[in-house]
Amino acid sequence: MRLFSKNLVLLMALTLCILPQNDVAAFSEQQITRGAYGDDVIELQARLQYLGFYKSKIDGQFGYNTYWAVRNFQEKYGLPIDGVAGAKTKKALAGYSDYDEAWVKAQLKAGHQFTYFGGVPLEQQVKKNTASNNKQAKKDSGSSNQNGTKTQLPPKYSERDLQLIANAVYGESRGEPYEGQVAVAAVILNRLESPDFPNTISGIIFQPLAFTAVADGQIWLEPNQRAKEAVIDAMNGWDPSENALYYFNPKTATSKWIWSRPQIKQIGEHIFCS
Amino acid sequence: MRTLLVILTLGVIGLGAYGINVHKDNQNLQRAVLAQYTDKLTDASEKLSHLQQSVSKSLLFRDEQAIHNELDSVWRLSSEVRSSLSNIPIGQEMSSEWLNYLGRLGDEAKNTAKSGDYQAWREKMPQVSNNLQSLSDEWTAATVDFYKHNGNMDVWLQQADDTKSNTTFTNVQKTLKGYGEKDFPLTLSESDWQKKIELKALQDAVITEKEALERVKTLFPVIQDATFTVAKSSDTAPYPFYHIQFHQGIRLGYVDITEKGGHILSYLVERPVDEAKLSQDEILAMAQEHLKKLDMKDVAFVESRENHQAWHVTFARKHPKDNALIYADGVQLKLAKDTGELLGVNAMEYVQEETIKPQVAKPIDWPTFFDQDVRVEEVKEIYTDNGQFEQRLCYEVIAFRDGDRPETFRVVIDAEHHNVLKVEYLT
Repeated sequence: MRLFSKNLVLLMALTLCILPQNDVAAFSEQQITRGAYGDDVIELQARLQYLGFYKSKIDGQFGYNTYWAVRNFQEKYGLPIDGVAGAKTKKALAGYSDYDEAWVKAQLKAGHQFTYFGGVPLEQQVKKNTASNNKQAKKDSGSSNQNGTKTQLPPKYSERDLQLIANAVYGESRGEPYEGQVAVAAVILNRLESPDFPNTISGIIFQPLAFTAVADGQIWLEPNQRAKEAVIDAMNGWDPSENALYYFNPKTATSKWIWSRPQIKQIGEHIFCS
Repeated sequence: MRTLLVILTLGVIGLGAYGINVHKDNQNLQRAVLAQYTDKLTDASEKLSHLQQSVSKSLLFRDEQAIHNELDSVWRLSSEVRSSLSNIPIGQEMSSEWLNYLGRLGDEAKNTAKSGDYQAWREKMPQVSNNLQSLSDEWTAATVDFYKHNGNMDVWLQQADDTKSNTTFTNVQKTLKGYGEKDFPLTLSESDWQKKIELKALQDAVITEKEALERVKTLFPVIQDATFTVAKSSDTAPYPFYHIQFHQGIRLGYVDITEKGGHILSYLVERPVDEAKLSQDEILAMAQEHLKKLDMKDVAFVESRENHQAWHVTFARKHPKDNALIYADGVQLKLAKDTGELLGVNAMEYVQEETIKPQVAKPIDWPTFFDQDVRVEEVKEIYTDNGQFEQRLCYEVIAFRDGDRPETFRVVIDAEHHNVLKVEYLT
C-alpha cells in the first residue's frame, strides 16, 4: 500500500514535469496568497472549482476559502502544502483544469450567480438576473470594480457598510479634498465606537437630523470611486479627523450647539470636533 | 387672441392641478413620516416606563435565575428604547445623552449577569430606579406637545432646535446629563482609555513648526520638494499636533504629527496609480523596508489586503517579553500597487502605546474546547481588548470546520480565564 502511494506521488510529480508550458502562461507569474485580489485570483478560484476543490463564490478575493482549496489541491497532487499559489501550483493547476476567462468575467460583470465546475455544461451553472432584479444586482455590486471583483475590507465591515458610508461621504463632502472625505468616513466609524450614538452604520447615517445629505436627499447620489477609496482608507484605520465625532461647515451651519463642541482641526470647508 | 386666452387658461388650470397634486403628495409623505416619528416616540416613552419597572423588579430577588431574567429585560429594554430614540428627531445633544445613559444601564445589566456581582447592582440601582422614574415623568411632560403637531413637522423641528433654557424639553436634557455623570461615572479602565486616546502619556519635548516640517521631509523624502501648508490643531483639541498639507506634482496629501516629540499620527497621499507591477511578496518586503525607515522596528506582520489601487498592510507591536502581538498598538501602511510607494501610514494606535499588565497563559486542551468536527489550524498569543477597556493576553485560534462548505473562524480566547472574547467568520 505504502509502495503504491509512493508510486502515485512519483507519477503525479512526473506528470507535473511534462505539463505543457503554455498552460502556465494563463496565469500571471505572480505568487499569490491570502490577501491577494484581482484577475489572478479569479482564475485560481475558477480552476480550483473546475476540479472541485473550491466550492465558494468566485469573487477574486484570496481569503481562507481559497487558501484551504489551494492546500487541498497541493496535498492531492503531491505538491508542498503551503496554501500559496506559486509557480509549481499554478503550473499543475493550469495543466489539470480548464478556464474560460471570457465566460467567467462576463458572469462577474453582469452580477450573475454562477459556478464553474468541470464536467457540467456552463449554461446549467449560471442563474441570470431577471430584468426586475438587475437594478438591485447592480446596486448590490456597487462596491465592485469593473470586472466585478468585490472590495476587500477588514472582517468587521461588510460591502453594505462600504456602500452606505460611500453614499454619505459623497453626499456630504464630494467637493472636499481627499483627506476631508476620509475624515467624514472616519467620523461615522468613530460614532460606531461611541456610546452616544446608534450601534449600526445605517442607524448612525439615518439618525434624524444627523447628516445634511440625508435631509436633502444627496445621500442617494451614486458615489464615485474616490469616495469609495476614502471609505476603504477609513475602514483600514486612517482618521484625519483625529477622533472627531462631529463636523460642520461654518458657512452653512444653523445649529448654535455645534459651535459649543471642542474643535480639533479644519479640513477644507469642514471643522471637525469632539 | 381668443386662442391664446384658451391656451393660457388651460395652462393655468393644468399648473394648478399639478400644484394641488404635488401639495397632496407632500402632505401624505409628511403625515407618513410624522406617523413613524409618533410611533417611535410612543414606543420609547412606554418602554422607558417598563425599563424603570424592570430595574425595580431586579431589586426584589435573591434568587439568581429571577435576577437574571430581570437583568436580561433591563438589557433588552434599554437597547429597544435606544433604538426608538435614535429614530426620532430630538436634536443631537439630547439624543447623545439619552443613548449614553441607556447604553451604560444596559451594559451594567449585561456585565452584572456575566460577573454575578449582584451586590454591586443592589447598591447602585435603587438610585438609578428613582432617577429613571423622574426622567420618565419629565420626558412624558416634555413630549406632550409632540402629539399636538396637527400634521405639522415644524413642531418637531422647533423642539429639536430650541436651545432656550427652562423649557421642559431642555430640562430633561440637563437632568439626563446630571444623572448620567452620577449614576454611571467613568470606570478606571475607561478613564485610562480616555487618557490613552488623548495621548496624555506623551512626555516628549515640544517641537516647533519648522522642526515638524523637517521631520516630515526626512521621513517621507518623496515629498521633500512639495509645497506645504502647516496649521496647528485647534486650542480645544485633546492633544496638540501639526496638520501639514502638501502638494507636489501629482501628489496631494497630508501629515498629522504630534507637537510633543514629533510622532507621526497619519500620512496619506492621493495620486493616480498605474497597473500593478509588483508581486505580493515584493509589496510585503517593501512594506518592511518602509517600516524600518519610519523607525518602527518593534512590530510584526499581521495581515494584508489588496484592492484595485493599493495594498493595505497591517503590523502590530510585539510585546518585549513574550513576543505576543499587541493588536491595539497597530500600524497600517498603504502601498501603491504600481511602484510600492508608501501612500499612507496610520500610526495613531502605535503612538498611543498600551500599558500591558503581566498575565499568565494557561494551556487549553483544544479537542475538548472545540466540537469534534473542528480542526485547530493555527494558534498564536496576542493582546487584545476584552470589551471593558482592558488588554488581555489571549489565544488567537484559526479554527476550520470541514463539510460541504468548509468554514473558517478566528476565535479569540482569554489565555488565563479561557472565556471566548471574539469569534469572527472568515471567508
